[in-house]
Order: sequence, then C-alpha cells, then structure tokens
Amino acid sequence: MQKIESPEESRKALNKIVSDLTRSITLKDELTRFWFFILIMFAGVGLWGWTLQIRNGLGVTGMSDYVSWGLYIANFVFFVAISLVGLLISSVLQLLKISWAKPVSRAAEQIAIAAVALAGIIIVMDMGRPDRLLNVFLHGRFASPIIWDLTVVSTYLAISVLLFYIPLIPDLALMHERMGPELPTWKRKLYKVLALGWHGNDKQYKTAYHALRVLMILIIPVGLSIHTVTSWLFAATLRPGWDSTIFGPYFVAGAFVAGCGALIILMYVYRLRYGLKDYYTDMHFDRMGKLLVLVSLVYLYFNINEFFVPVYKMKLAEGVHLKTLFSGGYAFMFWFAQIVGLLLPILLIQLKFFRKPLPLSLISVVILLSAWFKRFLIVIPTMEHPFLPVQNVPDSFHHYKPTSTEMMIMLFSFFAALLIISILAKLFPVITIWEVAEEQGIDKKYLSEKSNSQ
Amino acid sequence: MNRLKNIIAAGVLMMLALPVQGQEWLVPEKEAATSNPSEYTLENVKLGKAIYTKNCKSCHGDPGKNNPLALLPVPVDIASEKMQANSEGALFYKITNGKGVMPPFGSTISENDRWLLVNFIQNYSPGREQVLLVLPPVKAKLLASVNEAQGSVDIMAEFEDANAGYVPLLNAPVTISAKKAFGNMKIGEAETNDQGRAIYTIPANTMGDEQGYISLVVSLSEEYEAAEVILDNALVGSPKEVPGLIRKGVLWSTNSNVSLWVLISYLLSAGGAWMVIIYVIVQIVKIKKYSRSL
Repeated sequence: MQKIESPEESRKALNKIVSDLTRSITLKDELTRFWFFILIMFAGVGLWGWTLQIRNGLGVTGMSDYVSWGLYIANFVFFVAISLVGLLISSVLQLLKISWAKPVSRAAEQIAIAAVALAGIIIVMDMGRPDRLLNVFLHGRFASPIIWDLTVVSTYLAISVLLFYIPLIPDLALMHERMGPELPTWKRKLYKVLALGWHGNDKQYKTAYHALRVLMILIIPVGLSIHTVTSWLFAATLRPGWDSTIFGPYFVAGAFVAGCGALIILMYVYRLRYGLKDYYTDMHFDRMGKLLVLVSLVYLYFNINEFFVPVYKMKLAEGVHLKTLFSGGYAFMFWFAQIVGLLLPILLIQLKFFRKPLPLSLISVVILLSAWFKRFLIVIPTMEHPFLPVQNVPDSFHHYKPTSTEMMIMLFSFFAALLIISILAKLFPVITIWEVAEEQGIDKKYLSEKSNSQ
Repeated sequence: MNRLKNIIAAGVLMMLALPVQGQEWLVPEKEAATSNPSEYTLENVKLGKAIYTKNCKSCHGDPGKNNPLALLPVPVDIASEKMQANSEGALFYKITNGKGVMPPFGSTISENDRWLLVNFIQNYSPGREQVLLVLPPVKAKLLASVNEAQGSVDIMAEFEDANAGYVPLLNAPVTISAKKAFGNMKIGEAETNDQGRAIYTIPANTMGDEQGYISLVVSLSEEYEAAEVILDNALVGSPKEVPGLIRKGVLWSTNSNVSLWVLISYLLSAGGAWMVIIYVIVQIVKIKKYSRSL
C-alpha cells in the first residue's frame, strides 16, 4: 500500500477508518435491538432451565449411573476448543509477523473470551450442587485433572482479557478524544477510565508492545495446556475410546479447526453487518481458508492415527465402542463429522471459489456443526461402553438421551456466548483502529489529535 | 393400579409355572431300583443332616416345617408325602441330576455324601423307624464373659429340669462365633464340664478389626432354647491390617497422597503463569503512570 505522506491525507484517511471501525458501536437500528432481544430472551429461557435443574437436582437431566457426562461436558469441550482460536490468531500468527492476521485478531479474542467464559460456566452448570463450588477451591486436589482444568480455564480467561485489552488502550483514548455526541456519556466515561490516560508517547507504546509480547508468548503454553488438560480429563480415565496418548495434540488440532471455522463466520457477519469490506477483504478470507485447510490436514492426520490403531487391534471393549461409531447408532454423526466436516472442506477449500467470503463461511458453519458432533461423539459413546458390562439396570441406563432441560441449558450457553461477543462488539471496535492506521502509513502523531472533522 | 399389576404379574408367573408343575419327574426304572449302599444308622443320618444343612436347607427349609424358599416350582419339604413317595434310588437320582430350579449335585457332593443325604431324608419316611428324633428344645440359660488377659471366654450353661428349676448343663457343646457383617462366623466349639462350665481360648491368629476387637457370639446347639450371649468389642483378636484405599501417587488422590512431582509441576506451571500475568498488569499500571510523565 502506498504510504500516505501529507497531513491532510493522513487526517482524512484516519477519519474514514475511525468512522468505519466504530460503526459497530454507533449503529443503532431495529435489527440491533431485535438481535439483543433474541439473545437475551433465549439466554433467559436457558437460565430458567438452570433454575429448574437447581431446584430439582441433576435428575432432570438424561444423565444416569453410566452416562454421567452428557451434553454439558460435550458442550464444555466444544467451547474450550473454539476458544483456542485466540491463541492461534492473536499470538502465533502475530509472533510470526503475519500482517494479514492483525485486523482479525480482535475478533479472535472476542471468541476466545466468550468461549472460555462459557466453558467455565458450563462446568458449574454440570454440578449437582453449584452452591458448593467454593469447596473446589478450598479442598481441591492437586492430583485431580479437574483442578488443573479449572486453573487453566481461569488463567486462559485472564490472559485473553488482557490480550483483548492492551491493544484496545490506544483505541479507547482515540475514541474518547474523537467521538462526540453519537456516544452516550457513560460510554465516553468508560473509555476515559479504561484508556488509562493514554497519550501515545514513546514510553507508553514501548511498554504496551512489551506487555503484549510477553502475553503472546505466555498464551502459547497456557492455551495449549487448556485443551491438553481438557483432553486429560478423558485420557487419564481408563475407558475404551479415551485410553489414548495422543489425546492432547488431537484435541488441540481439532480446536484449531473449530476455532478457525467460528472466526470465519464472525468475520463474515462483521463484514456484512458493519460494512467492513475494506478491512476484511477477500484476501483475508482467502488466507483464513488456507489456514483452515492447514489445520484441518493436521487434524485429519490425528484422526487417522486416533482411529487406525484401535481399529487394527479391535480389542474387546474398544471394538464394541468403535462398532457403534462406525456402523452403530452413532454412525451418521461420526461419518458426517469425518467426511462432511473434515474431508470435504479440505478438498473444497483447495479451490479458489470456495475461499471467497460467502462459500467459505457456509463451509465454516458445517465445520462448526460437525465440530460439535465430534465433541458429542468423544464424550457420550464411551460413557455408554464401560469395560465392565452394564448389567441389571433399567433399560434407560444403557443409552443417553438428553432431556429438554439439558437442551435449554445448552441453548443458554450458545446464546450467552453470542451475547458476550455482541456486547464486546457494541462496546469496542471489532478491528484495532491504530493498527490499521499504522498499516496504512498514517503517523502515530495524528492518532492523538482531536478530530477536526466535526 | 399397582395391585392390578401384581395380580396380572402373578397370573403370568403361574401360567409359566403350570407346565413345569404339571410334568412328572420321571426316574429311569433301573436307577429307581438302586439301593442305598450306606447303612441306615443314627450316625449316618446325623452326617446326612450336616450335609443337608449345608447344601439343601436354604431352599427346602426345615424338615416338616413347610418353610421352603419361594421358588417356582416350590421346593418340596423332605418330610412330606410327596418326597417320601420316592424310592432310595429315585432320591439319589434326583439329587445327582437335578431338574429345572433344582441344581444337579453330581459334581459338587460326593457319591457317598449323596447316599448319606438319602439316609437323612429317609429319617422322615413312614416306612422307617425314625432314628434321629427331634425333641422340643429344652429351656436353657447361657452366661459368658471375656477374659481379655487370657484371651479366653468363660462360659456357664444351665437348663430347666423337670421341677422347673435351673441346674448346670453338663457336657453340652457350646459354639463360639464372631459377629460379622453378613452373619456369624464360627470360631470354635467348647464343651461344658461336669459343673456346666467351659473355658474357650480364642486361637491366637483370630483376626479382629483394625484394633483387634471382635464381637463374640456364644450359643448353645439347636436342642436348647437359650438366648445367645453377645460379647461386643472383646479385645481378643489380632489387629487387622487395612491397606489404604487410595494408593500414594495415583491420579485423583487426596492432597495428603499427592505425588511430589505432580504437586511441583502444578504449582510451578500455575504459579509461573500467574506471576507473568501479574507482571503484565504491572506494565499496564506503568502505562497509566507514563501518561503523567509526558
């Protein structure tokens, strides 16, 4: 891109960037209200389901003696998985100095924050006595993967929030300076407080860059451990289908696929809704598509490894488990996730046409759906096939069927996650303004100027 | 509604049971004609009774009391006419081969013992002289105390004589058992002396609970109607070694059992991550500070 030299041009370009990128904040129309109404209503219905569960106990769920991990845990793994996109986009790609990933990274952090927050909430919802949550902290066992999981989830949430916040500081100062009556006063006050008196001097930029870099490095081990530890919840338990040494990388690879899918959908929605064609260009979708193929290929490799070895051996309990996946009751879900959700996207996205925004987003929806299927398949069929035969129990104990209350609570988690993302988009720009300005060659000194366009 | 269900269920069960009950249990003539090689004596009948108590009583119940287990078809009382209609050989054949609910004992009870069983069953035969008489139990009293220093139990037994007075019970067997979760476990037997007393020394290797306590039960044989004496928590056994339920260093074990490497790995990685987070927060505070030092 041509470097902008003259102060006039710089100011003009900056004004355009600011007005484009703050559209998510200033936009006030019926659709926004309707969207928030829908989100709050469904999240509320889901919360009501939770009050039912708290009042009547976990008996209202379809979980029983054998399948004690149901929809909630599958959902938890799904949310942990998509939260990992924050690590991939806003840390790994940034450290590799891949410039196209810069405008995408805030959307990735939004997904990370929403998903990991919900992952934590879902765990509480899976508890029979959530009022005893504090005991987990007071009497937690250091040898228990549950405690490790709780630790990494909270650590990852803290890092994600910081990683969202630090690049936001210059934007907050800029918005506070430049935006006038289109903002309610409380928002401007909020920006002022959160901007920490940012003036954009060298010392501040240096400190911010330094802090960002430290976080980007820290989030890699923490991000990898959040999903590795989640996989250990399964792999550390002796059960067919879980007794695997590659569960850590297998989960991480799957998480990148699901996260990329979620991010592409979010990018497409932002592009369409906030008119960000110049920022999320076809090139960005093209690159995201290529990244998606890369991570899908890694995931495919792990899938082959994960299934080929036990299929070759077909040990007794393992064999029963695999048969239900391959040709039994879960065959449709399994082959859908493997073929439609993994193989087909890899082949299709190789073609340039399918890396265009709309086709890629549609493929991403399928990928996200099958990613959810996959988490369901990891948790439930294994619970139904313990090593010791299931004997002398009611017929309903043999198979897991989620109840309507579980569905409601699951609905809550999806709508609450969307609500968090929507609120973040309504409060803060979805693309880092100062980075885009920097990218276009606008000098930093113009950023701290008061807007003269008004 | 429930009652209706029960009636229907009972009806269905009866229908199922009818063909079983209706069928005659036929014994090949040759087998039925076999005669008992063991002699019909009091001694053999007593031996047969012991085998019966161990293997048969749980289903067939006490002879003549008609208290079998509620099975379908109902196990036949051995003192009943139906049972006694069988010949020696037929009884032996049925015990050996079993049928339906009645298991075959051919492989679990020796041939000799099965014939002893036949002897015991025939004790109730109208065609035989009853050698083992079952008298109404005699009223008796049993006293017992523990001598923890000696590791023994002192026992005294009395019975009601014809004048309704209690006199020492001589040369009577007394059973000493340990009270367990699922019933009494026999430790040993003692016999009262000519003063109606007995001292039973608990074998040294008898296992008690973690501290060595045993709850002892002292009882007289069936011939006497006497309340058994329960001696709770007698310190006469050897302590039981109870291995910890949670081994050290397994996953999910308690904090007191956690392996050092797990603890250190956890604390180092979690602590390390949070130290860095705090460092970053300090940097954010610095950003705020630098705004003043413009």
